[in-house]
Amino acid sequence: MPTDSNDTILKVTDLTISFKAYGGMVQAVRGVSFDLKRGETVAIVGESGSGKSVTIKAIMGILPGNAVIEGGAIDYHGTDLTKLNEEGFHEIRGKRIGLIFQDPLSALNPIMKIGKQITEVLHLTKKLSTADAKTQAIELMRSVGIPEPERRFNQYPFQFSGGMRQRIVIAIALAGDPEILICDEPTTALDVTVQAKILDLINQIKKERNLSVIFIMHDLGVVANMAQRVNVMYAGKILESGTAEDVFFRPAHPYTWALLSSIPDMQTKEKLLAIPGTPPNMIHPPKGDAFAVRNKYALKLDFEREPPPIRISDTHWAATWLLHPKAPKVDMPEILRHRINRMTGGVV
Amino acid sequence: MLLTLFLVMSLSFWIIRLMPKSIFENPEVSPEIQRLLEAEMHLDKPMVVQYYYFLKGIVLHGDFGTSVKVRPGMDVFRIISTRIPPTVMLNVLALLVSMPLGFILGTIAALRRNKPTDVVMSFLIVLFISIPSFVFASALQYFLTFKIPIFPTLYDSTALTLGAKLNSLVLPITALALGPIATIARYLRGELIETLSSEYLLLARTKGLTRAQATVRHALRNSLVPIANTIIPMITGIIGGSLVVERMYSIPGMGGQLVDSILAGDHFLTVALLIFYSAISLITILIVDVSYGIIDPRIRIGGRQ
Ligand SMILES: Nc1ncnc2c1ncn2[C@@H]1O[C@H](COP(=O)(O)OP(=O)(O)OP(=O)(O)O)[C@@H](O)[C@H]1O
Ligand SMILES: [Mg+2]
Repeated sequence: MPTDSNDTILKVTDLTISFKAYGGMVQAVRGVSFDLKRGETVAIVGESGSGKSVTIKAIMGILPGNAVIEGGAIDYHGTDLTKLNEEGFHEIRGKRIGLIFQDPLSALNPIMKIGKQITEVLHLTKKLSTADAKTQAIELMRSVGIPEPERRFNQYPFQFSGGMRQRIVIAIALAGDPEILICDEPTTALDVTVQAKILDLINQIKKERNLSVIFIMHDLGVVANMAQRVNVMYAGKILESGTAEDVFFRPAHPYTWALLSSIPDMQTKEKLLAIPGTPPNMIHPPKGDAFAVRNKYALKLDFEREPPPIRISDTHWAATWLLHPKAPKVDMPEILRHRINRMTGGVV
Repeated sequence: MLLTLFLVMSLSFWIIRLMPKSIFENPEVSPEIQRLLEAEMHLDKPMVVQYYYFLKGIVLHGDFGTSVKVRPGMDVFRIISTRIPPTVMLNVLALLVSMPLGFILGTIAALRRNKPTDVVMSFLIVLFISIPSFVFASALQYFLTFKIPIFPTLYDSTALTLGAKLNSLVLPITALALGPIATIARYLRGELIETLSSEYLLLARTKGLTRAQATVRHALRNSLVPIANTIIPMITGIIGGSLVVERMYSIPGMGGQLVDSILAGDHFLTVALLIFYSAISLITILIVDVSYGIIDPRIRIGGRQ
């Protein structure tokens, strides 16, 4: 298998997932496409409920029973994961693709010893003996920064702090030695002080193990130091996609502007701008651009026809009519322009 | 624990003794002898003093008093001691039978959730929970001893082999166990369904465990923790039911004796029986509490810290 940095190891194409619910079908994911290249970190950013977790649950084959994959494909080394059965996924989960959960407090079994929750994977995936599994589990615990792993091995989750539990969840995800690591908002449930350490750890293990990472986050600010590519997701669709530089310094979609403006700025301490309104009801998603109702720059066309992805550069596109040649010229908010100028020294 | 027992002792003493039946109300005994007897048992003194003698007797001498009606003149403790084994046997067996069966049925229902098996079982479960055990007792007696004589109608206390004894206990045990089996199955089903949709079960599956491995390793034991709570009221339920069921199958246990002594107004015997019943419940509850700690490390270790 070629290992040049351009080869794609996971390709999601036009993924469409709905949930059967009382009021009808909840259209949680509506045609999502993105690539994951070897050694790269791809971020998916968006507000709560935008369909990020549903997308990665489809990749892991752990969608709940009322979910229906209505279309699209997830290509992993020539296998379409949307068509894979439960047995097939046993070969993928843990061994090929590891997952770090949003909430480490509820992701660990409360009444099983920490050590056993790690060795279990080693027993089952690598068929290691008890003694070998223990040695390796302690090694893993040390590598994710657990002090005194020998003593901690025999403790239970409730004896660990939130940050330590997330490190254990990371150790568990690494135990099967996967090549792809998916992090679903790995720091959302943690204290701010702990967040930075966990993010550092993820970056460190990514380098050490040459992992490819899908990094899910609702906070664009955190993503800047983590990802090479950023996908901005809203109401089940990706609205803007580009390299981290594209999205942070040349944002094109009003939703991305809104997300960027809502990041608190440490230097100027200016008031952070909350995005007005709430995400739409996904049983009856709006006809045009789903963000139009909350968007003060929305054109009449935005309410009627859905904007297609419009190319900005080789690496950058956004789905907004504002990019259409005939659209009136609209600039990003002043605050945002100032901020970007300050960060880039005005060179962009 | 001891405090509970003390409260039970005091409560049963006061409630039973304040009932308006005189202890000696026997026209065949002359008034003089009656008075003599009353003096010997301190019955001529005020209630508070009697209460003092009652507690002192139990605590210092294990003396629960003397029976006056059911078997006059006999030491209450001696009457009861022969009655304890059948009752304990009946209740413990009913409990031992109902727990594993309840677990198995609850697990099946949870795994087959909303499928026909589950729907039928859920219906039966509600039925069995709401019917009291003595109804089962008479139904079983009618169908399985009278209509189709498979089992003996009554308890055979003279049976020589343990097998024969147990054989005559099958029906009363079944009658007592049906309700608890349904109770456990119902709670376990609910708990298991919740555990099966928990985050850590999802993590177990993303680790690469199969559905079966994840269920066995991460769901079953976790679901037992909240179940332990329902076992305590269940035990008291079984014991309450056994009072009547013992009677129906003429099992010479404490239940029949309690009914007799209350009807006859044999207050010392009644009080002593109530105390022993509470002691049995308290011991089983203690066992449940201890096993609770074994299942759930948060209680075991958390309590120590
Ligand atoms: N089991 C389910 N049944 C019905 N609808 C569901 C189910 N799971 C998720 N959804 C819906 O799918 C949509 C996307 O949910 P998802 O969990 O992917 O959001 P998210 O982007 O991960 O948000 P968060 O930041 O809160 O984790 C939501 O509107 C949610 O209501
Ligand atoms: Mg999520």
